[in-house]
Amino acid sequence: MICKGSTRRDFLKTAGVVTAVAAVGAFPTTIFADSKKFATFPEKTDMILLTSRPPQLETPVRYFEELITPNDAVFVRWHLANVPTSVDVQQWRLKVGGNTEKQLEMSMEDLRKLEKVSYTAVIQCSGNGRSFFDPRVPGGQWGSGAMGNVTWAGVRLRDVLTQAGIKAGSVEVSFKGLDGPPLPATPDFIKTLSVDMAMADDTIIAYEMNGTYLPMLNGFPARLVVPGWYATYWVKSLSAVTVLDKPFDGFWMKSAYRIPDDPCGCVPPGAAQKKTIPINRMTTRSLIVKPSESSAMRAGKPADVMGVAFSGGYGIQDVLISTNGGRTWKTARLGSDKGRYSWRQFFYTWRPEKTGMYTLTSRAADGIGESQPFSSLWNPSGFMRNTIEKVNVIVK
Amino acid sequence: MKTATALALLMIVAIGLAYAASEQEVHSITLPTLHTELKDGPGKMKTETLCAVCHSVDYITMQPKFSRAQWSAEVTKMIKVMGASISEEDATTITGYLTVQYGTGN
Repeated sequence: MICKGSTRRDFLKTAGVVTAVAAVGAFPTTIFADSKKFATFPEKTDMILLTSRPPQLETPVRYFEELITPNDAVFVRWHLANVPTSVDVQQWRLKVGGNTEKQLEMSMEDLRKLEKVSYTAVIQCSGNGRSFFDPRVPGGQWGSGAMGNVTWAGVRLRDVLTQAGIKAGSVEVSFKGLDGPPLPATPDFIKTLSVDMAMADDTIIAYEMNGTYLPMLNGFPARLVVPGWYATYWVKSLSAVTVLDKPFDGFWMKSAYRIPDDPCGCVPPGAAQKKTIPINRMTTRSLIVKPSESSAMRAGKPADVMGVAFSGGYGIQDVLISTNGGRTWKTARLGSDKGRYSWRQFFYTWRPEKTGMYTLTSRAADGIGESQPFSSLWNPSGFMRNTIEKVNVIVK
Repeated sequence: MKTATALALLMIVAIGLAYAASEQEVHSITLPTLHTELKDGPGKMKTETLCAVCHSVDYITMQPKFSRAQWSAEVTKMIKVMGASISEEDATTITGYLTVQYGTGN
C-alpha cells in the first residue's frame, strides 16, 4: 500500500506487485455501480440527488470534460435543514470580531472596496467517492461528482482581519454562515482555521464564481475559499468571522470531519480510528472522465482518453495512463495550466489493437511527488478517497 | 418646455432602472419539496415522523445496508449528538425498522 507522501520510486516498485493482481482477474467495477436519481434545484442544472432537505446534489461526471465547471453544475452540500433561501445584499453584513481591536459589520460594498483577488481552484467535498469505500461507511453516498473546478474572486480574509485588528494571543478564527440547525439542541455549523491559515495569502472571501454571483445553494452572497483544503472549511453564505483566543471545541471541529492521525489518514479497513486530527489538505487525485464505464470502442481505431487531476495545492507534475490494469504506463499530455490549485486536464490517444475487455487507469503525481495509492486508503468516515480509479471498456 | 419634458421622462426612466437594480439586490430561491416514500413495515410511521423533523428521509434510503449495530449507532448519534428528541422506546422501534428494511436484517 502506498501512503500519502510516497515517491515515484516507491510507485515503480509497487507497480510490479500490482501486475500480479491485474493478471489474476479484472478489477471490481465501482464507478456508476448504483442507480442514480436526478433533480433540478433553483439555479442548478439537473444534478444527481443525494438528499433534498437539506440539499445534497452531485455533479454528473460528464461536466468534468470542461476545464471550468459551470456554476449551475457545481455540487451542493449543506449540513443543516435551515438553508438560506433569501438574502438582501443591502442588508447583509459580515460580522468580524472576537479577540480583535474593533468589532466590524461589513457590507458587501465595504468588502468590494478591498483589493480583489482571483484564482482557479478545485472545490471538493471531504467525502467525495465515499460510496466506493469497502467496507461501506455511513454518510453522504457520493460518487465522484462532489467536486468541481471554479474561478473564484473576492477579497483576502487577511485584509478583512487586518481591518479588525487581531489581538495578541489569538489562536484560531471561526466561521459561521446563514444556515441554521433545525432544533436548538443541534450543533450549529461552525468551522475554524488556525490564525496562520486564516492569514494565508490565498484564503479568501469569494463573492464571485466564474465571473458572476454565487448561486444561493453554493453560498450566496459570499463564501470562504481555502484552496487546496477540503470544502468543509469553505463556509457558505458567510455571516460571522470570529477571532478566538483558545481552540474551538464545537462539534463540527472536535468530533466531525476528523481523520486518523497517521501519514496516510487511514486505518485497516473496518477498524476504528483512535487518535484523530481535523481533516485538512486534499490528497492528489485523478479521474478518467472519458471514456465512461462500459464504453465500447473499435479495435485499430484511435480512442480519446481524457480526465482531470489535481492536488492539495501543489499543481500536477504528470499523469500516467495504463490501458492494461496497471501493467504498463504511458505519460498523458497535460492541458493548460491554470495554477497550482486548479485541476489539470489530461489527454491520451489510445489505439487498442485487439478486441476484448480493458481496464483503464490514471495515476497523477503532484509538484511535491505525492501520488495516488493502488489500494484504497480506508477510514471510518469515508474521507479523502484518492485511490487510482478503474474504468472498464470493451473493444470490439 | 420640450427639454423639461425630456428631462422628466429621463428621470422616470432612471428611477425605474434604480428600482429594478435594488429589486435584484434581494436574491431568493424556492426550494422544491421532494417526497421519498419509505418501505412499508412495522415502525415506518415513527421513523418517517421523527427523522423528518431534521432531515428528509432520503438520508436513510441512500445508505448502504447496515447491520443492527451500525443503524443503532446512527440513531444514537442523532439523539446524543444532533439533539433529536426521541425516546428510548422509539429509538428501538426505529433501529428495528431500519435494520429490517434498510439493513442486513440482523
